[in-house]
Amino acid sequence: MLRTQLWLPILLALVTAAALADEHPAIDGAFADAVAIAQRRTVKIYGGSIGRSPGYGTGLIVSSAGEILTAQGVFLGGDSLRVALPSGETHAATVVRRSQEYQTALLKIEAATPDHWDLAQPGSAEQGDWVLAVSNAFKVADGAEPLSVNIGVVGLRMKLDARRGVMDFPYEAEALLYDAITSNPGAAGGAVVTTEGKLVGMIGRVIESKSTNTRLNYAVPADVLAKFVQGEDSPPVVASNPGTKADLGIRLFALGGRKSPAYVDRVLPGSPAGLAGLKTDDLVVTIAGQVVRDAGDFRRIVESLPLGQEVVVEVKRKNELLSVRMTPVAEK
Amino acid sequence: MLPTSVYRYTTVLSFVLAGLGGFVSTRAEEPSLVQGTLLAPKAFRAAAAKVQPAVVRIEGFGGIAAGADGGGYQAPGEGPTTGVVLSSDGYIVTSTFNFLRKPPIITVVTADGRRHVAQLLGRDETCKLCLLKIDGAESLAAATFAPRSEVKVGQWAIAVGVGFGGNQPALSAGIISATSRISGKAVQTDANTSPANYGGPLVDLDGRVIGICVPLSADAKSEAAGAEWYDSGIGFAVPLDGLDKQIAALKEGKTLERGYLAIQAEPTGNPPAGAVIKQVIPEFAAAKAGLLAGDQIISVGGTEILDVTHLASVIGRYYLGDKVEVLIERAKERKTIAVELGKAPPPPQPPMPKPGDKGNEPPQPDRPKPAPPKPAEPEKPTESPR
Repeated sequence: MLRTQLWLPILLALVTAAALADEHPAIDGAFADAVAIAQRRTVKIYGGSIGRSPGYGTGLIVSSAGEILTAQGVFLGGDSLRVALPSGETHAATVVRRSQEYQTALLKIEAATPDHWDLAQPGSAEQGDWVLAVSNAFKVADGAEPLSVNIGVVGLRMKLDARRGVMDFPYEAEALLYDAITSNPGAAGGAVVTTEGKLVGMIGRVIESKSTNTRLNYAVPADVLAKFVQGEDSPPVVASNPGTKADLGIRLFALGGRKSPAYVDRVLPGSPAGLAGLKTDDLVVTIAGQVVRDAGDFRRIVESLPLGQEVVVEVKRKNELLSVRMTPVAEK
Repeated sequence: MLPTSVYRYTTVLSFVLAGLGGFVSTRAEEPSLVQGTLLAPKAFRAAAAKVQPAVVRIEGFGGIAAGADGGGYQAPGEGPTTGVVLSSDGYIVTSTFNFLRKPPIITVVTADGRRHVAQLLGRDETCKLCLLKIDGAESLAAATFAPRSEVKVGQWAIAVGVGFGGNQPALSAGIISATSRISGKAVQTDANTSPANYGGPLVDLDGRVIGICVPLSADAKSEAAGAEWYDSGIGFAVPLDGLDKQIAALKEGKTLERGYLAIQAEPTGNPPAGAVIKQVIPEFAAAKAGLLAGDQIISVGGTEILDVTHLASVIGRYYLGDKVEVLIERAKERKTIAVELGKAPPPPQPPMPKPGDKGNEPPQPDRPKPAPPKPAEPEKPTESPR
């Protein structure tokens, strides 16, 4: 049995670690070395505070010349940005560069920082792998005190759906989702490391759902951080049909508004949808694999379809789901 | 919710450390023990992979207030949500949380990538479960369910859900924290349960479903109650083992609601024990059956009642319309009375506004007192069962 094989040794490992920690500081379980490495390369940042936004954060040392990565945040504003190194030594810091799309900032202090993360050799963590998150959430640590550590497993790496709707969050890259709770004040900019102490990401800014009040726990992956440090912002989004919008010949109920389901009101005769046999009252469910949740989705997806390239459109007609093919044309 | 999140996730690690710190072992065992810890993720992945063929993505179209309040990465029932294939003929079990917006159109994407139109059947409001049916399905991969008797506190538990979007489910690992909560309807876990996996499975290391992740709360009854605990290390999953009767009712499209005795009871003695009826709400269940103030409740349905909290928990195991045998002691005599559990009694009346109070409208006894402002959630589900 898998369960007994694993659970017992794990239990024993942890217990042993606890029992021996005092006498044998070198032997303390599976995570201690990784945490020790992370503590040496992660810093506390103090800056300005506006309203409820915390005036502090966490940062990653990414070069021997005092370069520090952190998350975008209001604490970076103001004139008194300071970085507290793991030794407790503090230095004034300046913001070198910021990126909206990565929600990341690069700081610089005038001090040598020989122990640093190597973004060229990041760790890799797949789904289910342990990750340790090291940060100054809630400013629990001060001066030379070690940062707080959370453990969790990687949930998934994916591009966030977050921008859908009116969500005002500009993060564009893929995110590493995990189940350690890091969406707390001051945690952003902290290190997320493997059990080998390799960096897999930097704790991201707090994203909160206004309707469910739940927050996302995620990191900006190390490869994305490397791109930012190298000054390589993601390529500008190129419109697939410069100047022209695509059309399928489907007209939705005009009165429904952007948020109503994409019910077909009219199908233009001779149009791609007309030729494919779509009818009034069909509900458009997907176009080219993308879910059409409402009329707003419909417009956004259709307009940017590549012209002349056949797509599959799924529609619900009564209780059936039909899959039809059609080729978008230029909007007239 | 800010400060609570920090308490979250002491995880298996510190949990075990705190409890068993005094245990002593030898240094020689250390390397293999560390190895065991480091191998756990493989087991998490294997468990998630086993259940994945039975995990479905649910999409709702339309519905009340869709997108009205905008913002957020997961408006309830608006993003994709998770369900579990109950049987190969197309029954899907999921959480009512996923249909807060009452979407009139529901589609289900099975693990093979195929999309189906689904009908919403019945719901069990006491444990926030509901059933969907895909028509024409014959050979879906159904989940395997763990017998409830095998679920133990401290065992690994992995929550799986697709609520973040994308084609791959996300997983969260933790342990079982308690095997019987909320009138015995749920198990408790410290794996993260949230809108990202409500309706999805909580599985053991063999990939067997321990329960369906749902938001639950001991005292709040609203449909989303419990969701605020998403990052507190407190999550719930409802085991289906023993729910055959309820599932049959859901297949028929029934809505199962909580049943009430409609009494106020108070404990006696110190430490408090037993439950003596203080007040019977007129015209509700207990009153109709002839229970009286002063009766001491000895047992309900054969279960001895220990105290008032226990009484509430025992009643919580039944449903509206269930008949229960209540053994009481009245004037030193024992007597069994059959009670048909009824609707919830109205909350105690607020005091009448005094003349001269702000907004001094005349009292309107015919109108119910206005509900506190919250998202429109009709008392009766509008999409409800055929």
